Amino acid sequence: MLNVLTTVIQSSTNQPAQSSYGENASTWHHMSDALHQSLNRVLSLLIAILPGILAFIVALVVLTLIGMVLSALLRRGLTATKFDEHLARGRGNVDWAPSTSPTVLIARASFWACVLLGLIIGVSAFDASYASATIVTNSLLPYLTRVVGAVFLFIAGTLAARYLARSVLIEAVNAQLHYARFLSLGIKWLTLVFTAATVLDHLQIGGHVAVLAFGILFGGIVLTLALAVGLGSRDLVSRSLESHVEHPNESGFATPTSPTVGANDTIRHF
Amino acid sequence: MATADTISEISTVSTQPGAELLVVLAATTPDQLERVLANLTAAFPNEGLLVASPEANSDALPTDAYPSLRLVTIPATSTSWTLTAADFVNAYQVAEKNEARAILLLSPESGSFSSSALRDMAHAVLSAPTDLTVACYDLAPHAGLVNSAILYPLTRALFASRVRFPLAVDLGLSRRMAERLAGVAQRFAANGQSETPLWPVSEAAVAGFTIDQFDVGFRVQSHSTGPDFNTIFPLVTGALFCDIDAKAAFWQRFRPLPPARNARPMPPASSSDGAVEIAPMLQAFRLAYTNLQEIWSLVLPPQSLLGLKRLAATDGAEFRMPDSLWARIVYDFVLAHRLRTINRGHLLGALIPLYLAWVASHINITASGADPESPIEAVAQAFEAERVYMVSRWRWPDRFNP
Repeated sequence: MLNVLTTVIQSSTNQPAQSSYGENASTWHHMSDALHQSLNRVLSLLIAILPGILAFIVALVVLTLIGMVLSALLRRGLTATKFDEHLARGRGNVDWAPSTSPTVLIARASFWACVLLGLIIGVSAFDASYASATIVTNSLLPYLTRVVGAVFLFIAGTLAARYLARSVLIEAVNAQLHYARFLSLGIKWLTLVFTAATVLDHLQIGGHVAVLAFGILFGGIVLTLALAVGLGSRDLVSRSLESHVEHPNESGFATPTSPTVGANDTIRHF
Repeated sequence: MATADTISEISTVSTQPGAELLVVLAATTPDQLERVLANLTAAFPNEGLLVASPEANSDALPTDAYPSLRLVTIPATSTSWTLTAADFVNAYQVAEKNEARAILLLSPESGSFSSSALRDMAHAVLSAPTDLTVACYDLAPHAGLVNSAILYPLTRALFASRVRFPLAVDLGLSRRMAERLAGVAQRFAANGQSETPLWPVSEAAVAGFTIDQFDVGFRVQSHSTGPDFNTIFPLVTGALFCDIDAKAAFWQRFRPLPPARNARPMPPASSSDGAVEIAPMLQAFRLAYTNLQEIWSLVLPPQSLLGLKRLAATDGAEFRMPDSLWARIVYDFVLAHRLRTINRGHLLGALIPLYLAWVASHINITASGADPESPIEAVAQAFEAERVYMVSRWRWPDRFNP
């Protein structure tokens, strides 16, 4: 009896161990299958976009090389034909603002135009080789163009800020305004804030928050300038204005003076 | 090559068959025009002069009073304080149309000139081999300071010409000189820059034409309501710097100066108001020194900046800008104008406070009662001495000259 019971007990204990071992093996097998499947999906995705990436890189590299060759050819050709001298003779006293010569500018512009073209073609090739139904590719190319536009906006805004700041500084100094540097900094930051807001708006970042922040910041700077100039430097402004009224003859054209110099000799710059 | 004569004897203009002098007058008031016409009639009583004026057809002009003058109309230009490209184009066109052999360009204030001076200028371009005659004015000691500080020294050092007023508004031109200036002016007019001042002295020097100057006496300067100093200064200096840039191949070669002429002594300056007048200029210079350091440091080498630093620490009657420092500053600005180190408008605006510092120094020097021409001569000699510096920096431009 005891032997039967022992046999029954043994058989009942052996069955769960065997089934748990089997379930564990099955679970691990399922897990590894799932991992393998997900890895396969990632790899197949990568394999799917790899040609697109390769096409992008090839397009960019090829057009960059073409740009370099074109730039070198243009530079040599324009130098040989003395393009800068012809342009200088033709434009007379017209101020050529950039510090680099027209030849160098044209060569550089052609190079970067080729690079930009390579970027656009590369992105188009990437887009064509990837699944067209994907949301990412549908929005990638348009957003990339926005990014390029935003970069140009930022560069233009920075240049404008520097130019305006320097113009205001020199004019204010020549007008003998003691707050010239403060005014110049204010104009610079106004322009930079405006540029930043425009760039963010162009990139569709922030939305109304960015617009509101810009408005508050811009208005704050303008109010600060107005208060500083109107109240804080009131005496300086009135002194500057008085000096212009008291010394009107310090201009190019003064009142006539006789050759015999008296006590009220007038300075005439021209 | 430029030459300089002493004041020649009074003589009449030779009247050859077909010889004609065209006198071009700028736009002016009827009273001034009548004064000028009366002066011309007195200066050239026997010659039939051709006079071109924008007011030639004016009803208020009593043409019967000037029977020896033939009046024609010439288009008026908008700039009255100097001769511009449009003036030279118009003058040459009228001269060509009427087959004039020489042109006399006169300002509205030429009514105050002596008849002998007008005759001498006309005689030089008609009968003598002179292509350009320039008026030399008697000005007050503190007048024409831009000319004394920049225009005259630069023209003398670079173009080897002793013409005292390179931007004079009273000129005598031979036919070929007028043709050359009209050609240059046409290029500016084609670019829409008809109001740009031209530089007849440098054009004549480059062309190898003869230049002469004549004392015309005191010139009554009009109380013009034209643009202010801060507008005119960049315009004039910018035009001169562009001209220097265009003629670099000429002035880089050394050319000897013609012998000095015996100029009339200038009346000394009053010593009473010097200190009062220079205070605003010193204030402007110190304000600029504080605010424009970073702009000046892009243009001037450390040596010049150190000189300015010492100058900013000086005050009152002791304020003296060394002539060599001023010469180098001007040359550095000419070079920066060529290299476009910064925007040209900004560059010339940044030169204004430095010029005012020179003016303050000049007033201090002349306040002692000395001959006003002596410091100007010293400045011109400093420009000549620093010419080597200019040529070397032009040929090997670098931002900071060690």
